[in-house]
Amino acid sequence: MEQILANGLYLGAQYALIALGLTLIFSLMNVLNFAHGQMYVFGGFVTYTVVAQLGLPFVVGLFVSAMTLAVMGAFIEKFLFRPVIKKSTREESTMLLAAGIAFFLDAVILLIFGEKQRGVPKIIDGVLNWDFRIIMPYDRILIGCLAVAMIIAFILFMQYSKTGRAMRALAQDRVAAQLMGVEVDRYSMIGFALGAMLAGLVGGLLVTITGVNLGMGGPTSIKAFLMIMIGGAGVISGAIAGGFILGMMESIGLTALSSYGDITYLVIFATLMVFLAIRPQGLMGKPWG
Amino acid sequence: MTTTQMLSLNNVELYYDHVYALKGVSIDLNEGETVALIGANGAGKSSILRAITGLSPITSGEIHYQGARLDGTSAAEIVKNGIAMVPEGRRVFPYMSVKDNLLMGAFTRTDKTQITKTLNDVFERFPRLQERARQQAGTLSGGEQQMMVIGRALMAKPRLLLLDEPSLGIAPKLVQDIARAIVAINRDENVSVLLVEQNSRMALSISHRAYAMSTGSVALSGVSRDLMNDDRIKAAYLGGDLE
Repeated sequence: MEQILANGLYLGAQYALIALGLTLIFSLMNVLNFAHGQMYVFGGFVTYTVVAQLGLPFVVGLFVSAMTLAVMGAFIEKFLFRPVIKKSTREESTMLLAAGIAFFLDAVILLIFGEKQRGVPKIIDGVLNWDFRIIMPYDRILIGCLAVAMIIAFILFMQYSKTGRAMRALAQDRVAAQLMGVEVDRYSMIGFALGAMLAGLVGGLLVTITGVNLGMGGPTSIKAFLMIMIGGAGVISGAIAGGFILGMMESIGLTALSSYGDITYLVIFATLMVFLAIRPQGLMGKPWG
Repeated sequence: MTTTQMLSLNNVELYYDHVYALKGVSIDLNEGETVALIGANGAGKSSILRAITGLSPITSGEIHYQGARLDGTSAAEIVKNGIAMVPEGRRVFPYMSVKDNLLMGAFTRTDKTQITKTLNDVFERFPRLQERARQQAGTLSGGEQQMMVIGRALMAKPRLLLLDEPSLGIAPKLVQDIARAIVAINRDENVSVLLVEQNSRMALSISHRAYAMSTGSVALSGVSRDLMNDDRIKAAYLGGDLE
């Protein structure tokens, strides 16, 4: 039981970070970023390059991943989403654009990093064994704690910084935010960069545990969408709840349903369909809080 | 009262949503004045405010503010220049605390101690807001929200305050409070006020001058006290609903 809980929390923290980035972009720009999973994979490969190939410390890898993705996010917003949003009156345009970026990034990753599964050497050795109730390698504990720390830092930033306040204002009432003097273009770019940066950070964190490969992008995007559907799109608390719920469901499923074969995600999808039929706005369905 | 001109619209036309919302409007406002724009729904009152704040770019004409050309500048730049707007329907940030809403009003300002000072001034003017500072703005009553968005606009330390239908959807007793607050702000803080109102009686009673709008242009203008007794105004704008 404790083991399931610990696994669920560990997974949930990673998932919540991914979902936070996605929900931030959605709430600011009304864009469903289908390329979010690819950004995560890209971040993983950047950390792999810095740590495993260049032999630099893990922290540096994480930092370079975050910066690379932030810059990438800023460029994608400025040169791709912004002109499309300005010119098009249809919401599908941004969805198609996002899907296009996802395929493009897949191709770029294939070109730069290749198709092989990559990982980095363990950042710390050893396994925590608490009376055989919880058995967990130290590196997983560290990565889980780092993810939680980043979630807290993100919340504090959104809650108490001027930039965070401006982004919340923009998400809650675009016109009013403009009247307060918030430059929509500038803060959309900051938001997109921040969302992409979060994806890159999780990629950098998880490459130390599970490694990274080209095929992970699409499924990760789908999982991220699941999470914000569970929690409610565009809400911080919803993304966090969705992340932890999905992490927990996966953890429970892998333990409890393992004797029935690989059906965890089948059950999760079925449950989600029923859940959304009852509560389509998700758990915390409301704009940003 | 000085007679320095603060704002002037010169033959402004505004075309949006496939109609001419403003058809050659010329109005002006002097420093320290409260000017009301009255008229029915769709007469173009709110469009004038949208044109001034840069939310809707004007099609032709000129807007001058404190001697400089205003049209064409960005919404953010216009706030920095000292024009703050209280939008129609209040437009609070519903899931932010009252205090965060107010702080958003000071978004373009940078001096933290000055911002805190203004925040305390706003709390002093509307003590109710201080009591509810930590509450989510969406949970306030309509009247409290209206006071909050007026406070939010004051946080920008404006020289010109634009108010769009501040009495809309507010309980009659609170309308009086809001009217009093507008008079006080205009008097104490040397803020000029451009007030858009469907409640013409209230607007005329607290303004120095007024423009009566009808289908996108100015139909009548003059000193508010005179307009109040003008038969045409009585018939068209004050209606028969004498209390």
